[in-house]
Amino acid sequence: TQQTPSPDALVEMMMQVAQGRDRQAFALLFRYFGPRLKTFFLRWTISSAVAEDLVQETMLTVWRKASYFDAGRAGVATWIFTVARNIRIDHLRRQRDPSALPADPEGSPDTVEDGLLGAERDAQVRQALKTLSPEQQTIIRLSYFSEKSQTEIADELGIPLGTVKSRTRLAMNRLRALLEDRS
Amino acid sequence: MTANHHATDETLMRFAAGTLAAGPAIVVEAHLASCSACRARIGTFEAVGGAILEDMDPTPLSAKALNDTLAMLDDDEEASAVVPSPPTPVEIEGIRLPDALRGCDIGRWRWIGPGMKMSRVGVPQDPDANLILLKVGPGRALPDHGHVGTEFTYIVSGSFSDKFGTFRPGDLAEMDDDVEHQPIVDRDVECICLAAMEGKMRFKNVIGRMLQPIFGI
Ligand SMILES: [Zn+2]
Ligand SMILES: [Zn+2]
Repeated sequence: TQQTPSPDALVEMMMQVAQGRDRQAFALLFRYFGPRLKTFFLRWTISSAVAEDLVQETMLTVWRKASYFDAGRAGVATWIFTVARNIRIDHLRRQRDPSALPADPEGSPDTVEDGLLGAERDAQVRQALKTLSPEQQTIIRLSYFSEKSQTEIADELGIPLGTVKSRTRLAMNRLRALLEDRS
Repeated sequence: MTANHHATDETLMRFAAGTLAAGPAIVVEAHLASCSACRARIGTFEAVGGAILEDMDPTPLSAKALNDTLAMLDDDEEASAVVPSPPTPVEIEGIRLPDALRGCDIGRWRWIGPGMKMSRVGVPQDPDANLILLKVGPGRALPDHGHVGTEFTYIVSGSFSDKFGTFRPGDLAEMDDDVEHQPIVDRDVECICLAAMEGKMRFKNVIGRMLQPIFGI
């Protein structure tokens, strides 16, 4: 069985890919993130084959764009998440308009500008998420796995819109308080 | 340009998650280009995405997935870095618009009421997007209106005020579906803004709703 690599070990692997074009390090990243990415993409498509194609596309982009990875700005999991997110958006766009050219996966907004080291923040956010109540976690996850508005989420969960809004607000406040505590 | 009105946490989270609809995402992106505070907050929500990804239960990949991908790396070594062409500025009749509108199909200004013009913006990745540019003359009041789904407005030039304050270039106004307001453009200069409405509501209905009070229909 595979051990969970520490955030620092992941950064080390990413650096070996970026600077040494190290295939072994790439394979380690693939073995760790590939199956998780597949679960991620299966939230958006029922086809296992499509999900696997998107995993490959994501990891290929990780290889190609490895030099863009900046450990000061984002942890490895966060950076790979943004690559997968852009691949998913692009996939959706190509489904709507097959003639559309693939977008540049790096063509997304620039992000993080505070001093916190990426891997450190990844670990903090992960800890903070675990302390949310199950209801709050559900609301957060729904925001990451569906394009539904709060009104539609309320319909789906069969709860009033006001409840969705207050849960979101509580989850946000809690997340922010936890992150501010630690920084 | 320091903005005074910002995106809500929920909106930034959806933007970071990539689940905000295309129209609103363009309006938010216009604001992000001029607001480092919101850009920094987005980073936290991307980290939430990273944590969620890492905590996902793994789904086994087919046995050949890794080798197939490694084989693609071989092919890829030759691929040279493509130098992106310098971006052309986006404009409408000489007025510079946010870069977030790049790739969109920007229509001509059309008269929609006294002192009011509108241009419909076509979004290639979402034909159903309700995205418009509005140009409203100095001192003019927009119709008092409510919203169906959240309304996102980015101020390109000029300014307007409503009961929530004054909105200036770079600001983002987010109006919830339970909010009613009546924006009034400040004197001296016309106001141009970029507005998107969330939801699948047809465009005609959006404008119809907004203009109802003017035409009394
Ligand atoms: Zn802002
Ligand atoms: Zn409004």
